[in-house]
Amino acid sequence: MEATATQISARPHHTLWGDAYIRLRRNRLAIAGAVIIVLIIIGAVIIPYVSPYTFDKQDITAILEGPSREHWLGTDSLGRDVFTRLLYGARTSLAVGIFTQIIILLIGIPIGAVAGSLGGKTDNLLMRFVDVMYAFPDILLIILLRAILGGSIFNIFLAIGLVSWVNVARLIRGQVLSLKQRDFVTAARAMGGSSGYRIMRHLIPNSLGPIIVLVTFSIPRAIFAEAALSYIGIGVKPPTPSWGTMIRDGYDVIFAAPHLVIFPAIAIAILMLSFTFLGDGLRDALDPRLRK
Amino acid sequence: MAGLLEVRNLKTYFYTQDGVVKAVDDVSFNVSEGETIALVGESGCGKSVSALSVLRLIQEPPGKILAGEILFGGKDLLKLSRQEMQKVRGAEIAMIFQEPLTSLNPVLTIGRQLTETMELHLGMTEEQAKQEAIKLLESVGIPHAERRIRDYPHHFSGGMRQRVMIAMAISCAPKLIIADEPTTAVDVTVQAQLLELIRKFTAELNSSLIMITHNLGVVARYARRVYVMYAGKIVEHGTALDVFHHPAHPYTAGLLASVPRLDEPKKVRLASIAGQPPDLIAPPPGCAFTPRCIFAVPECSSGVYELVEISPGHFTTCWRAREGKIAWKTD
Amino acid sequence: MTKYIARRILWLLLVIFVVAFITFLLMHLVPGGPWDREKQLAPQVVENLNKKYGLDQPFLVQFGKYIWGLLHGDLGVSYIYQDRGVTSIILEGLPKTATLGLVAFLLAIFIGIPFGMAAALRQNSLVDYSSVIFSTIFASIPAFVLGILLMIVFSVFLHVLPTGGWGGISYIIMPAFALAAIPAAYISRITRASMLEVIRQDYVRTARAKGLGERIVLIRHILRNALIPVLTITGPELATLISGSFIIESIFSIPGIGRLFVQGVFQRDYGLIMGSILFYAFAIAIVNLVVDILYAAVDPRIRYD
Repeated sequence: MEATATQISARPHHTLWGDAYIRLRRNRLAIAGAVIIVLIIIGAVIIPYVSPYTFDKQDITAILEGPSREHWLGTDSLGRDVFTRLLYGARTSLAVGIFTQIIILLIGIPIGAVAGSLGGKTDNLLMRFVDVMYAFPDILLIILLRAILGGSIFNIFLAIGLVSWVNVARLIRGQVLSLKQRDFVTAARAMGGSSGYRIMRHLIPNSLGPIIVLVTFSIPRAIFAEAALSYIGIGVKPPTPSWGTMIRDGYDVIFAAPHLVIFPAIAIAILMLSFTFLGDGLRDALDPRLRK
Repeated sequence: MAGLLEVRNLKTYFYTQDGVVKAVDDVSFNVSEGETIALVGESGCGKSVSALSVLRLIQEPPGKILAGEILFGGKDLLKLSRQEMQKVRGAEIAMIFQEPLTSLNPVLTIGRQLTETMELHLGMTEEQAKQEAIKLLESVGIPHAERRIRDYPHHFSGGMRQRVMIAMAISCAPKLIIADEPTTAVDVTVQAQLLELIRKFTAELNSSLIMITHNLGVVARYARRVYVMYAGKIVEHGTALDVFHHPAHPYTAGLLASVPRLDEPKKVRLASIAGQPPDLIAPPPGCAFTPRCIFAVPECSSGVYELVEISPGHFTTCWRAREGKIAWKTD
Repeated sequence: MTKYIARRILWLLLVIFVVAFITFLLMHLVPGGPWDREKQLAPQVVENLNKKYGLDQPFLVQFGKYIWGLLHGDLGVSYIYQDRGVTSIILEGLPKTATLGLVAFLLAIFIGIPFGMAAALRQNSLVDYSSVIFSTIFASIPAFVLGILLMIVFSVFLHVLPTGGWGGISYIIMPAFALAAIPAAYISRITRASMLEVIRQDYVRTARAKGLGERIVLIRHILRNALIPVLTITGPELATLISGSFIIESIFSIPGIGRLFVQGVFQRDYGLIMGSILFYAFAIAIVNLVVDILYAAVDPRIRYD
């Protein structure tokens, strides 16, 4: 009896999360992505306390300067420090990335859950609606919504969120459907309301993994959308710094001071790539089929 | 006796991450003109790989034909250039595969899959080949051939797809047909029809036939000579009569004993050969069948075992059988 | 087959209708109406304008009129360029946008598919590794970032290409490449994955067993099957391409529909905005329809639906 007990404990017992964590750690691209994201977050958070400049401090004596010791990434056409503005822009991008996800989850999860649990005509209707939305290019719809809603940065979150919840809804709906099938037998024996409760209880842990992956991929799309909106001129209002606005402003003096455009563009690319690599890594790590 | 096909000391190995799989390990067999032989053994014993090696259809990584000669009509196929080999495939040696569902291209009409061989090897025009394809389909028993020519594989049932494969194989009147478990994936009722079809055509074309199977009933009915394979080697061969009535290897006897027989009462339990199929990366030392052999003695685990004649035309690697130390029920 | 096509066309019409409705609805929810400018217009002027454009009528009547106009190819009126209809404005920009889109699409295919094929046929070689790396990187860099970087390198630093405008190959290269990058990356990935799967299939072995030459096996047996999944993603990729084109046109000052759209958004010209969005939706729907039809033509298994 003892022998078998030791045999069992000798074999390491991994939960899905522990196992996923180990697999994720081995994915170097994903780790690189995560590190970069953390660095950017840290930079964005501490910049107001660390930088001698603010994002809107103009200095007409130092216009359009290239990178130097005083201004690490140079200055723009109003003498503002690019490095500082870049990191403030990171705050905007990160804020967009995170808050849009909250809206997406707030809209997508209930709709998906309702579609999945009610089934029948409601489900059909919702899914048809989803299909039509899917057929439509999101960036255009976001622009339209933004033009309509106007105003504050919150409306940017709203515009992006209102367009991007579709994938989450689909995912949750799928989860609910499969849970419904599993619970079907027990539900037949259980009393009325408890099957719904049981579905909810299982819904969260089962969907957590795929939702995390979806969100990780959805963040760079939101960041891109905000940058695009700002570039066109309907994003965040100046003087709030945004990478998209910086590109737009820098475009006018692109020959004289290309660094004004290069740095924000590269920043967008790096942040998006980092989230994408992390998302790839998370998806592989959480894939139950690859568990040992 | 000049054989049409003579395979000598063929070695085909697969180099995988887990090690070297000795799928075919020094195998020799031959077929004469117009003769039907059978290669039998359980799954994984190397019979399919032997057949694929003859046509040089082994995927070059991870597989490789390391050694041996494959003499066909005097030429060594292993020494032919790629173009020359392509002229042999389909035209002189044709193969019928086991899974008709996956062995046919799903996006081409079966007419096209028939005509492409004939256009290539027989130099026919599109129209000629099409007419010929219709005739072929009719001869393998597919009705309304003129219409069916334009259908796709997924419009056919399993049995009909296999008929199409047979038609493809005989389309250029090959001298040798290799049938790799042609009836395994098909309903029992259709199996007999397909086998009869194959027999009919090999007779008509005077082709030789290598029948690869693990179904001994099939062997008994159609093959003149039998090669029994185990763990990548040939362990016994001889005429079908000899091998069935006087099996000279414990494995063969085991195979025979596990065939359900009509003349035995239904309640008799099917005998099966105990144990697992051998690991081809690290086969057991000595005679590979030793771990599963009920007649094994310690000496069987060492030494090299060659095929030795036990009676005219009947060869076996089992030394105990040769020395008459084993008796089993034969009839 | 005709039933399949008919169903797809009906779906297209439905999508356009729904998009038109939603867009129209959203337009009418805009606070302030289309006449909100910096200068406040006199109420009498606003009322006359509203009457002139039929904006004082009930919502459904307006919508009905709009749909009727759509069926006749009339995309409505521009509220800024009051002497021109949206249709004529869009038609003016159409050739440039269409050319850009077409060139980008061709680039995506003629880069993506060969790379994917080469990677699959020479597994674990340099081509394979670099194809995977490039497709991963370029799949994640948005077109407008890429466009800007290309502009910096080739216009600003190297002075070999113009920063914008329209008029010849040198004006198309950078925007087309920027637009083509993401689709090319995805196409390359799928081609590679698909080919790797097809190559292992039994029917490829059968084709070789029949003595067919490698070229025929590749083209008639392998590619015919392997390109089907590629075709499947072509639709969505083209949609992305079309919808991303407006930013690229903006960056490279290409006088196409995209730039008009952007100006329209900035100037709050709702007529133009709506017309442009409908145009894009229509273009995407048509493209998806064509891809669906091609798909049925190429894969006989899905035809009899």
